[in-house]
Amino acid sequence: MKQRSMWLAVLVAALVMAGCGSATGTGSNSGDTSGKLVVWDWKSGDKTAASYVEKAKADFAKAHPGVTVEFVAQPFDQYYTLLGAAIQAGKGPDVILFNGGGQIRDRVSSLLPLDEYVAKDKQRLAGWEAFATGGKTYAAPVTLQGHPIYYNKALYKKAGLDPEKPATTWSGLAGDCAAITKASGASCFAVGNKEGAGIQFFMSGLGSGILTPPEYDNWIAGKRDWQSPNVKRIFQLWKEANDTGLNNQGANSTALFTDAFTVFQSSKAAHMIGLMSDIGHWKDFNEFLGADNVGVMPALVITSGATPSLPYDGGIGYGVAKWTKDPALAADLVRSLTSTEALRAFYTGAGAIVSDTTVDTSGSGPAAAKIVSQLKTGKPALHVALSAKTQELMGRLSQQLLSGSVSVDDTVTQLAAADKTS
Amino acid sequence: MPIGDAPPLVRPIVGRANRPAITSHRGRARWERLAPYLLIAPAVLVIVLFRLWPLLLGVNFSFTGDGDRNGTPVGLDNYTDLWNDPVFRIALRNVGLLVLLLPVAVAIPGLLATFIFLRVPGNRLYRTVYFFPAVLSPVIIGSIFNLLLAYDGPLNELLQTAGLGSVDWLGDPKVAIFTVVGVHIWATFGMALVVFLAGFATLDTTLLDAARSDGASLPQVIWHVIVPGLSRTIQFVFVTTMIGMLTSMFGLLYVMTSGGPGGSTYLPEYYIWIQQGQMNRPALASAASTVLFLVMLVVGLAQIGLLRKAGRED
Repeated sequence: MKQRSMWLAVLVAALVMAGCGSATGTGSNSGDTSGKLVVWDWKSGDKTAASYVEKAKADFAKAHPGVTVEFVAQPFDQYYTLLGAAIQAGKGPDVILFNGGGQIRDRVSSLLPLDEYVAKDKQRLAGWEAFATGGKTYAAPVTLQGHPIYYNKALYKKAGLDPEKPATTWSGLAGDCAAITKASGASCFAVGNKEGAGIQFFMSGLGSGILTPPEYDNWIAGKRDWQSPNVKRIFQLWKEANDTGLNNQGANSTALFTDAFTVFQSSKAAHMIGLMSDIGHWKDFNEFLGADNVGVMPALVITSGATPSLPYDGGIGYGVAKWTKDPALAADLVRSLTSTEALRAFYTGAGAIVSDTTVDTSGSGPAAAKIVSQLKTGKPALHVALSAKTQELMGRLSQQLLSGSVSVDDTVTQLAAADKTS
Repeated sequence: MPIGDAPPLVRPIVGRANRPAITSHRGRARWERLAPYLLIAPAVLVIVLFRLWPLLLGVNFSFTGDGDRNGTPVGLDNYTDLWNDPVFRIALRNVGLLVLLLPVAVAIPGLLATFIFLRVPGNRLYRTVYFFPAVLSPVIIGSIFNLLLAYDGPLNELLQTAGLGSVDWLGDPKVAIFTVVGVHIWATFGMALVVFLAGFATLDTTLLDAARSDGASLPQVIWHVIVPGLSRTIQFVFVTTMIGMLTSMFGLLYVMTSGGPGGSTYLPEYYIWIQQGQMNRPALASAASTVLFLVMLVVGLAQIGLLRKAGRED
């Protein structure tokens, strides 16, 4: 007995002292044979992305006829777990699809800087910042993702409001919403915060009307003053909107993807801070509500001196893994995946607002036109600047704010601490 | 440590039993001595290679860093991180809550099995109905209850027509964990029920008849005849239900609450998954796995002790 516990102690001690090896592999070189490139994504399986993949493949085959490209579509909810396992093993796909912001920034140690390869595309494509960190670019943007405030014009008409003149202030909106709720029973906002993502949409959708322009730019640049009254105002409004009954009921138990979108699409809510690409965007809403009934309004002016702008970043983009055998070849594939031809197909097929600003978007209804017209003055979204860890904490705290188990002051203090360490 | 008293799992009994009095063939004798080890070698290798080795690697990883410190030894930093993470503390607290709720999870199938055994009207139908959820996957069950328990869902509508207020079953941090555990019990009690029914089959019916003719009431029959007669079955169900609660709630959590609201429904398993997959912190996840392993070890040893004690009573 004694001997055994001694052995156990020795083993534990050895493990503690040694702590050798690593949990994520040492990035040893492997990869596939040079005649084949493997792409991981969660898009290529969609019917709506079929022609995009086809166009990109054709473009790549023109320059490299001998190389086969294999697209492996992973389920999105498992994507980063699977990718984590591949990174751990130090081998896996050559070209990898990423969400912009925290998800790619957390993993740049496994990626190749692409600046020398994509220099020619820098002007044509927008949204690079979401895939860059430390002055290096790690992926080329495919779509732009942002958070316009959509509203349901039919509900406005029903309440006797002018659908072309949505409110520009918080009190104005509250007044409009009171009329809408009285006329049709619909709530003001469709909010889903089960995943804790509702606060991200709220922060970015309304942030440009709450923070002053210098505050906004500082935030994006990494100089974030969480204790400033305007930042606190974001969380106060988040709570206030729920407490005063502007949200659909049970926001904490409503999944943003996709129950909250369903609430908006079925006219049970008048406004929704939605997306520009992927899902929950103008094309989905057009299909359910009719293109003429989908409006896009700028952020409300809540702080005087704030200038509302469209919050958007690079949405998804392709990066190249460090372990790929022929980086130039993989980078060429990334360029094909962001070629004008391919991106046009993605826009037509999936309704994504693509990164290529030369793609013609007229003829997709007033909502899309409004979004595209605001791209020029748009700024990066507030929540995208935060690390994945801070976003996760913010999601958790936002749920506690709604259920009343944490105060706004406590929230910003905790977030400031998390933001500092990450 | 009770394990120490257990007989060795494999004894080279073959060699000893067949050992001839005169060892004319030395080679054969050696073969016979070695054969048992050779025969168990594949099983041992599989266990060592696919169980013990990864386990050791995992423990080892938990002493290394993440991100920039990938691969460098960091001592107990990950464990300090875990201890300082309120979410992990919630996860451990929820494990404690599960242990507290265990008697409820055992009493429900026990009572229902008793009713079936006592042949309440419709007992055949109930037997089938009670087992039905056990064949559904957690994801399907989670989705069904997501619809039923939604804020504007049927259950709340029912409560409202009854004049009671709506409850945000999955959105209220004080309620959500109980909702998920309740659904888990609903989904899994069928299996325990079957075990109980099997236990009843071994019950001496003459004792029941005797109790009845002596005029014992139903609660008296249950307490003084059925419970003592089923003590071993009850202990077995306790053990299996605890294991089920600790290891198979991930699917429900994932579908029903995603750990929320406010992290109130986290369990260690879910925490490990989030840290590894979403937060890109595999070393911290390894540390959490090690802690979960130790918790399971303690629970498992306690259960082995319980079972052995029960075995001795017979």
